[in-house]
Amino acid sequence: MRIPCPYCGERGNAEYAYLGDAGVSRPQTPLGAALEGATLDAWMNYVYLRDNPAGAHRELWYHASGCRAWLIVTRNVSTHEILNVEAANGAIRDGRVGAL
Amino acid sequence: MPDQALRQRAPLEALARPGRFGATSAAAGVMLSEIRDRGLASVAARKNQRAALLAAAKSAFGCGLPTRPRRAFGRDGLSFVWAGPDQWVAMLDHGPVGGIEPRLAASLKGLASVVDQSDGRAVVRIGGARARAALAKGMPIDLHERAFTPGDAALTFFSHINVHIWQVDETPTYEIAVPRSFVGSFWHWLTEASAEFGYEATGSNSSA
Amino acid sequence: MVDAASNKPARAAAEFAPVRQTAAAPSAASPYRLATGGIVDRSAPLLFSFDGRNYGGLRGDTLASALLANGVRLVGRSFKYHRPRGILAAGSEEPNALVELREGARREPNTRATVAELYEGLAAVSQNRWPSLWFDCMAVNSLFSPIIGAGFYYKTFMWPASFWEKLYEPMIRRAAGLGRAAGMPDPDTYEKAFAHCDVLVIGSGPAGLMAALAAGRAGARVILCDEDFEFGGRLLAECRDIDGRPCAQWAGSLLAELASLPEVRMLKRTTVFGAYDHGVYAAIERVADHLATPSPHMPRQRVWNIVAKRTVLAAGAIERPLVFGNNDRPGVMLGGAVRAYLNRFAVKPGTRAVVFANNDDAVATLLDLAAAGISVQACVDPRGADAGVVRAAAQRIGTRFVNGAVVRARGGHRLRAVDVSAVAEPWHKLTFPCDLLAMSGGWSPSVHLSSHLGGRPQWSDALAAFVPGPLPRGMSVAGAAAGEFGLAACLAGGAKAGAEAAGDCGFAAKPVAMPGIGPEPIGIAALWRVRAKRGKAFVDFQNDVTVSDIELAEREGFRAVEHLKRYTTLGMATDQGKTANVNGLAIMAELTEKTIPATGATRFRPPYTPVAIGALAGHHRRKDFKPTRLTPGHAWAQEQGAVFMETGLWLRAQYFPQPGDNSWLDACNREVTATRNAVGVCDVSTLGKIDLQGTDAGLFLDRLYANAMSSLPVGRARYGLMLREDGFVLDDGTVSRLAEDHFFVTTTTANAARVMQHMDFCHQVLWPDLDVQFVSVSDQWAQYSLAGPKAREVLQKLVDGQHDISNTAFPYMAAGEVTVGGGVPARLFRISFSGELAYEISVPARFGDAVIRAVVAAGAPLGIRPYGLEALSVMRIEKGHVGGAEINGQTTARDLGLERMVSSKKDFIGRVMAGRPALLAPDRPAFVGFKSVGDGAIGAGAHFLPVGAEPSARNDEGHVTSVAYSPTLGHLVGLGLLKGGSKRLGEKMRAYDPLRGRDTLIEVCSPVFYDPEGARLRA
Repeated sequence: MRIPCPYCGERGNAEYAYLGDAGVSRPQTPLGAALEGATLDAWMNYVYLRDNPAGAHRELWYHASGCRAWLIVTRNVSTHEILNVEAANGAIRDGRVGAL
Repeated sequence: MPDQALRQRAPLEALARPGRFGATSAAAGVMLSEIRDRGLASVAARKNQRAALLAAAKSAFGCGLPTRPRRAFGRDGLSFVWAGPDQWVAMLDHGPVGGIEPRLAASLKGLASVVDQSDGRAVVRIGGARARAALAKGMPIDLHERAFTPGDAALTFFSHINVHIWQVDETPTYEIAVPRSFVGSFWHWLTEASAEFGYEATGSNSSA
Repeated sequence: MVDAASNKPARAAAEFAPVRQTAAAPSAASPYRLATGGIVDRSAPLLFSFDGRNYGGLRGDTLASALLANGVRLVGRSFKYHRPRGILAAGSEEPNALVELREGARREPNTRATVAELYEGLAAVSQNRWPSLWFDCMAVNSLFSPIIGAGFYYKTFMWPASFWEKLYEPMIRRAAGLGRAAGMPDPDTYEKAFAHCDVLVIGSGPAGLMAALAAGRAGARVILCDEDFEFGGRLLAECRDIDGRPCAQWAGSLLAELASLPEVRMLKRTTVFGAYDHGVYAAIERVADHLATPSPHMPRQRVWNIVAKRTVLAAGAIERPLVFGNNDRPGVMLGGAVRAYLNRFAVKPGTRAVVFANNDDAVATLLDLAAAGISVQACVDPRGADAGVVRAAAQRIGTRFVNGAVVRARGGHRLRAVDVSAVAEPWHKLTFPCDLLAMSGGWSPSVHLSSHLGGRPQWSDALAAFVPGPLPRGMSVAGAAAGEFGLAACLAGGAKAGAEAAGDCGFAAKPVAMPGIGPEPIGIAALWRVRAKRGKAFVDFQNDVTVSDIELAEREGFRAVEHLKRYTTLGMATDQGKTANVNGLAIMAELTEKTIPATGATRFRPPYTPVAIGALAGHHRRKDFKPTRLTPGHAWAQEQGAVFMETGLWLRAQYFPQPGDNSWLDACNREVTATRNAVGVCDVSTLGKIDLQGTDAGLFLDRLYANAMSSLPVGRARYGLMLREDGFVLDDGTVSRLAEDHFFVTTTTANAARVMQHMDFCHQVLWPDLDVQFVSVSDQWAQYSLAGPKAREVLQKLVDGQHDISNTAFPYMAAGEVTVGGGVPARLFRISFSGELAYEISVPARFGDAVIRAVVAAGAPLGIRPYGLEALSVMRIEKGHVGGAEINGQTTARDLGLERMVSSKKDFIGRVMAGRPALLAPDRPAFVGFKSVGDGAIGAGAHFLPVGAEPSARNDEGHVTSVAYSPTLGHLVGLGLLKGGSKRLGEKMRAYDPLRGRDTLIEVCSPVFYDPEGARLRA
């Protein structure tokens, strides 16, 4: 598989490390809040639950042997077609991914 | 206090024996050497200081910091290689020990984080008619002249070791920065890859 | 059907004895070599041996062609029934002619004689026979064939289960198998290489050559691969004219032009064996397989990872056998292979031939046989009126044309005759004596690579073959691989595909002029099996799968193509059914009265042909399996005789033995004692080291670590604990503040890369707005730990005089910059893992070697000793520090007794999830120390059991994580995770270790065995 890094250009998958679903956001929980109900659900979802659709999926990849950028790769997991790649930090700053 | 001054050791000092090795049927296809007198430092832009940093570097060093994988040359033996988004490796030819960090820090204070890496990387120079073929045995990127030209740089790997490579001239000659602790394995694999073409190693090479 | 020839011809007695096929003295003047023609080099005779006998061949021969040139027809025994087998094909699809090539450590089993390039001294032996190829005792298997059909093993060797390993499997392995592996280390080297191109052309037959030429002339970067040792494909094997010249000559001029194009790389002996996503292809180049031993510095084989923008698959087609009785007799050969042996290798594969085909390919076979002076006894074609061109060709060479089918081959070790049933007189059996049957069941396009990414081949009724289905992106198919079977169509298709591929890469290709080609018939009428067969009719020669096996599978319900394969083994093993799959599928379709597409289609996976595991490993084996990292002090430690151990990629000194030591324990005890009583030095350069800067660096570290870091004063260090987001401990280390906006962080050796990735994640994905920059400086600094009551005394000799490192000026947990040896910059940290007065000193790596020597020289009068990982581990266990055995991915800060470090005043990774009720449960195993009160040994991994309790999972109360003999205290000290933890101090338990057969009484105690007040490290 080849993934186009927005900084380095197209590279083979051996340069990348895979994390998975980019669609989860780290919940914000006030100090001392009880870990129950919606708060617990949100954290369980963030830490453990991942979508696994057949088709287009937004995933986190790390360019470990390259520029060390975390990327959000939109990939059709059925065909491996890469539909879009962008830097994670840019996407988060622009509000396209709500990580925090 | 010890009686003698502490002796410096270059990363490849004990490994890179000078001489002609590998196949001997034709002229050496690969030339290998280590650059031992170059200062290196990591430079990373501080938050929201990118534009100011580029401007400051331009006026202080006479060159813009490359914003894509390239190497740019400034005044007085300084050059900058792109090393990731908003990151560079600054290099100073014939740099004295610990000399590069203060030189950069003075001009870039508040604009960039500067970290001396002169000891953290070995810089190996590889050139010759078969240099590309030798590198192809461990490096996954396309170094063909249509894809990679003098001044181009890349962060990638060579035989499982993360490296930073940039092209020096059209011979072709390349320089490869390798984390110091890996340099033994790197040298072993590079010389194995070069042996088929015959290679000539010179102990050290001046950085300019 | 009446068997008119029921009187079996009397077998010659000689058939059971080794026939002297050639003079004992080797000679290049082999009896079956044609005087002229071919592309073998008659001036380069080569000597080789087969089953210990010497023969002569020529440069340009394969082992198969050289054997045929010497009249050797019997080359192997079949897998299951030990049937005598000859050479069926002339390429990589060969199912029968498998041999063991080379000798000793280089012996390789299952080499196809049809692709083994002949070299001087080549030695091959036949396989799967005992005691000899001509007299094989195991051939009795054939008599039992009615009971050892498909599924025999599954049904028979079921009971008792214990017999399988001891009896059944060894017996089956001996009776049914292929060649023997060398069993010795491979003396050759293998390597991997990357290549990039615009257009990859797979196959150098007419279509591939034209594709490469069209793309190459346009200026595209082209890689042309062919598995053969000569480029040209079928152009080398056919007797055709192109532009008025023999086609092999015409190919030669094209190859010369390709070789002159600077951006065309031509890789012969190179099989593209796998297609992967996004234009990645894997190929194996047999660099030195055609040499007795590789030249110095030459790899035996090279695996190419090719990245291609576009690919033209021009892999040609594979001819199918016809299925009739005893169709596996040596001398029954594919028609295209017969032509290859005649035209390319100038070898007569027989003296009297019969041609049996269901398609017009027979025309070329008839004419080429006649041209070589081989008498053709008959031409058999099941087609009637449609076989007009074949009938005409037979007439032209004076051969009898029979509209019918071969029903049985006769002969044992070699073909003697064929029985033919004619359509006009089915009751009358014709028998034609012959030693060669050239058969053709039609051609199957080599669609393999087109289906590696999942594309299902599609059936073409017109061609009676599967053609490529949906193609991988960037791939096009040309020539016979696309079902374009005529030569003119191959040339045109190749040129078009090459030009389009180059065009897609931005290179405008001019049309390539098409050469003049005569007309060529390609008619076919499917014939999947001869129903009136007698004798075993093989579908898959390599796996001994017969029509009866497929019938059995059908009867027993294994009708789906994947079930058929698993049940009968059709299409398995080294040839993956290249000649068998379509016939097998078609026969199943007939049996189930379905169409072939409704029955299924075989999709293929890499590799196209077998690839040695060693080639895939390349240089990465043994010590070179992964890179090795060495510290700047490594050479010094080696000089001290250190024994090293691998920790991650690093080599670290484990201990420093001395003459007279009985074991590593003596060295370890000496090192611990010296450190506790005087001073020791340990290389800790392998720790992960990270430099952090930025106005938000403190805030970032607060979020990264469970304890607070922004409150750390400049010039101080702090132990830090990092959690994962799920609340478990990730890593520990130290954080030092060098300036308000400048920190220096260490990680454990093992987790350095992981922590760096985690920090990048936190910075880029979670908190991109923080002003923090960090970079690894692990390789920049050599770092040594000086520990022991005399550590300061040693250090004072090294650190330049202007730096005050007294206990007052530089107390416990101080951190700062100093100079050593007269101005060398260094960093000093007063941190202790051993529990002694200790410092870690960092110097630029170029001084790492000099500084360790200076430390030891300065400490020598004080009794300094270097210590290794064993002593380090003993001292941290004595001190009750957690290490890798306790931070095992399943322990929380609370489990490790570190809950007081966890801040409640800030957010950090793992904060919320560490508060899950289950992680706060009072009976979670928690960190304790223990002492042995019995007299047995105790090892890590032993389980804590209540005294007197049954050893069972229910009674398990935790386990021993670390244990060591303490020379300081004179007894074993141990750490473990025990339910209830520190509430159980003083309790006696069993350390139960069934794996090692140990069971010892212990007493639970505080994990801090040594200096619990911490007075020594503050001294």
